[in-house]
Amino acid sequence: MRNDLRRRREERSWTQAHLADLLDVSRQTVNALETGRYDPSLPLAFRIAALFEAPIEAIFEPDGADVDARR
Amino acid sequence: MTSNLDTRAASAGDRRRTRAYLAEFVPGIVAYVLLLSAALLWGGFDGTSPTRFAWALLPVLPMIWIAIAVLRHLHRLDEYQRTRTLTGLGAGFAVAMLASIALGILQSAGFELEGSGFWIYGIGMATWGVSAAVAGRR
Repeated sequence: MRNDLRRRREERSWTQAHLADLLDVSRQTVNALETGRYDPSLPLAFRIAALFEAPIEAIFEPDGADVDARR
Repeated sequence: MTSNLDTRAASAGDRRRTRAYLAEFVPGIVAYVLLLSAALLWGGFDGTSPTRFAWALLPVLPMIWIAIAVLRHLHRLDEYQRTRTLTGLGAGFAVAMLASIALGILQSAGFELEGSGFWIYGIGMATWGVSAAVAGRR
């Protein structure tokens, strides 16, 4: 799954550590999310969407592997 | 691409969780070292008194404390960190079980290894550390 968390965070001039505190996760987790190494659970995805005031699908989008898995 | 917003500094939450973990973990380790030293000094392991077995088990008590501290820390972790930690723990457990079986069979065949329990413990802990690090890099 791809996401534009980094862009949205940098637009607000937030550090990864600051975003981590806002989401109540570790900085490592924010880094893993931004680099696509980890896909969030649905509750965390909702927290991210609420924080950035955007729908989940505006922040996250499936990549090829996710689309294949749905078939 | 990195920017000055991509510092590796820990967040306030990270520091709070680490402090809470250390506050529970460190007393356990200190107690373990003290009780192990006391057992080795005064336990009479070379003697024949049955009390030496009680002395030998004494350092296990703080290990129970440490195990509880690790479990409590797991509950403090977020979902990604918990996955990583549990993956490492699972790998450590599996390798420790394999090492235990292998050593058990080898000992049945006459192979002798002094302190085999400590070897299994070390192998399990090392596997936990390595696999947690590998899981974090993926």
